[in-house]
Amino acid sequence: MSMTTPFQARPRFDLLDPLEASRLAGLELLTEGVVEGFLAGLHRSPRRGFSVEFAEHRMYQPGDELRYIDWKLLGRKDRLYVKQFEEETNLRAMIVVDASRSMAWTGDPETLLPKLAYVQRIAAALALVLLRQRDATGLIAFDEVVRQVIPSKARTTHWHTLVRALGALEAGQGTAAGPALRRVVDLLRRRGLVVFISDLLLDQTTALRALKFLRHRGHQVIVLHVMDPFELELHGPAEARFEDPETHQAVILRPKDWADAYRATVHDVVSDWRRQCRSQGIQYHRITTDMPFGLALRRMVASPSGLV
Amino acid sequence: MISFLQPWVLAALPLAGVPLLLHLIARREPPTVVFPAVRYLQAVTREHERRLKLRHWLLLLLRTLLILALIIAAAGPSAALRQAGGHGPSALVLVLDNSPSAGQVVNGTSRLTDLRAAARRILDGATPADGLWLLTADGIPQRGTAAELSRVVDSLAASDRRMDLGEAVASATQVLGADTRPGGIAVLSDLQATALSPAEVNTPLLVVRMEGESPPNIGVASLSAGSQPWTIEGASVVVTLAGDSGRSAPVTVSLGGRTGRAALALVGTPSSIAVPGGASGWWTLRAFVDPDEFRADDERLAAVRVAPIAAVSWPAGDQYLQAAEAVLEANGRARKGPEVTIGSLGPSASIVLPPADPAQLGAVNRALERRGTGWVYDVIVPAPGVVDSGPLLGNERVLKRYRLRATKNSPSAGVLATVGGEPWIVRGADVVMIGSRMDPEWTSLPLSAAFMPFLDAMINRVARGQIASLAAAPGDPVALPDQTTGLIANGRKWTIEGGAAFRPPEVGLYYLLGGRDTIGVLTANLDPRESELVPASDAEVRSLWSGARIVEPGHAAAEAFAQVGRADLQAPLLWLAFALAVTEVVLASGWRRRS
Repeated sequence: MSMTTPFQARPRFDLLDPLEASRLAGLELLTEGVVEGFLAGLHRSPRRGFSVEFAEHRMYQPGDELRYIDWKLLGRKDRLYVKQFEEETNLRAMIVVDASRSMAWTGDPETLLPKLAYVQRIAAALALVLLRQRDATGLIAFDEVVRQVIPSKARTTHWHTLVRALGALEAGQGTAAGPALRRVVDLLRRRGLVVFISDLLLDQTTALRALKFLRHRGHQVIVLHVMDPFELELHGPAEARFEDPETHQAVILRPKDWADAYRATVHDVVSDWRRQCRSQGIQYHRITTDMPFGLALRRMVASPSGLV
Repeated sequence: MISFLQPWVLAALPLAGVPLLLHLIARREPPTVVFPAVRYLQAVTREHERRLKLRHWLLLLLRTLLILALIIAAAGPSAALRQAGGHGPSALVLVLDNSPSAGQVVNGTSRLTDLRAAARRILDGATPADGLWLLTADGIPQRGTAAELSRVVDSLAASDRRMDLGEAVASATQVLGADTRPGGIAVLSDLQATALSPAEVNTPLLVVRMEGESPPNIGVASLSAGSQPWTIEGASVVVTLAGDSGRSAPVTVSLGGRTGRAALALVGTPSSIAVPGGASGWWTLRAFVDPDEFRADDERLAAVRVAPIAAVSWPAGDQYLQAAEAVLEANGRARKGPEVTIGSLGPSASIVLPPADPAQLGAVNRALERRGTGWVYDVIVPAPGVVDSGPLLGNERVLKRYRLRATKNSPSAGVLATVGGEPWIVRGADVVMIGSRMDPEWTSLPLSAAFMPFLDAMINRVARGQIASLAAAPGDPVALPDQTTGLIANGRKWTIEGGAAFRPPEVGLYYLLGGRDTIGVLTANLDPRESELVPASDAEVRSLWSGARIVEPGHAAAEAFAQVGRADLQAPLLWLAFALAVTEVVLASGWRRRS
């Protein structure tokens, strides 16, 4: 007779290695698992409960803020409970996903998901989180053109529409973020949330201009910079011709000679994006495709103006 | 001027192009890697491309220089250290080769004249603080000031003595060993290949190679007068020419200044020429060829004694001596008569053999003592031995012999042949004593081919008082027979006491005197190797004298003292290579850190 633990029965997809988690379940089931795990972990977070509408009580756990303890209930039941609140569901969110050719790349297919596959899962999870908060959530996918547009809706069943759309995404060719972000302006009439998920291998000036415009329109903007770990470091044979899958531009060099300079350049690029975004009040998060989905979601949540 | 100990190593210099070659080979099309972040790489390369190119070329240069430095260091470079106004106090031995070959005429000038001029130029460059020696063919280093040695050089003539340059260099090295100043050797020679021999060189050695090719030469390498004495009818002489092989030349042989007999002889091939004899006495035999650019070897001398053949009284009943009598008489080398008695003591010159009956030994010994030979037969030595090789006889086996005991003279006086170091043939008064009977039970001599020439020499020369016929090259030591009391040649006379080594100073015939008698002759002729004028190549010189620097005469004066103060560049070059290697490593690794 075998013993089955609750953990084995319901694996924490949010904390598993992304490739391993993707092998265990399909996009939909995986995403639910990720969100379930993510939210279960989030329940212990002291950040929960700053909304304005009371939702329910739960048992006090060490780390909870004392100001949310329901003292009246303590007097009646002689047990500590904390009050939890829910935000009003008037937020309209739009997830903008980069589906260009560069997003289909992975540095090691044996151990890493392609960036697009990773983004499909993280976007689906994010959509589920938002929809569970009763936020109207939509999706725009783009490569060199806008490929997919799904307007924001708050119905729970809308998530399946989003997941199907995400699952059907295939990498296109080039990258043109401007039109996609301008399309957001048309779709989000009121102030809302824009989550821009991309490897940011695009025209930085154009993209930043569009993001600033969104910010100017009062939208909360989050940039999720997805990178493959093999993009952080330069590897390869003694000498190689490195070719861009989108533009087919190539550079011949010796990785050993340029590894340090490349690492520094990547660091500078990330720092520049972060600085430029922060200067406009845009949240910027860099995540890598070897990062568990839960951690990636938590990174967004941990920001000063988190999603939940 | 930079010179190299192993210049052949410089043949590896093209290896310095290996880094460039590898660089060019590495420029082939590399594999393609799909990589989305090429825009980052482009940004990186834009920033660092110039620096990277500079670094690559710098590394290429460093690696090329590193290989160059290592190859040049392996070639053993050295450079002259010059002081302001000349050179520091130095010790210099001038080896001036005035051997016979220096007399060759090249382009109308004697080689020796050029050598003397080069020597004077070197001496002119000396300072009073220098120690100077001059070593010539006589083998005796002469020390002096530059002026003194210049005078010696000016008066120097071609010697008849051969000069072994290896030995000369070794002598010069020994001379320098006693001087505390930095020393060097300058060899001024025609570099005749046959004159070179190996020498351990541990001081700077400058070899001056003279300009111009040696002339073709043919000389008389050997002259054999055959069995002596000659009869009045004369005899055949054998002449061998040396020089340019394959050539032939007319050679003339004359006796005593009379008109000679000529023949065409091929170089390297002995030629026999019949020469008529003269009256009894000593004659000078000359063989000569037509004059050429090297005169010293155009003539060769030999001494000939003309005398009637010996009249011999042979013993009866000795089969081997009787057989010899028949052969010698048939060949005109002996006749019957009382002049020489062989086998027993006769009234005149005698060759005495031990008696067959030991009972007669006492009578024989008494007769010998009465004759004043100074030697008697002692006991029988049954142990077999071998004749010690000498001019009279080769290595013949001696199975049994009587020990010969000196009675009044020194034990070595009159000894003509020995067995195991003990006298076996001796001569005293007009008597020759042999320790063994001419029988195979006593010695293998009667059965050997040397028996007839031995007996010929004994009856015609030794028994008649002509003990030695010696040959040597000028300057070579010659051991004279014990009976020699003096030598005479061309009116010069040398007194010898108790036998000694004698070095004939020049070409000529030196008659050996024993009291008032002429007991032999020493013929001094040029060493036949002097006829080979072909000079040694630079490679041969360097292989025999490691580290030798070879220069032309025009540079001799400048290099002779400069070489003394030469700096070994090998160590600095190795340090340079090390520094280049370190720089290369630092540049290659440090650049990566900076980038």
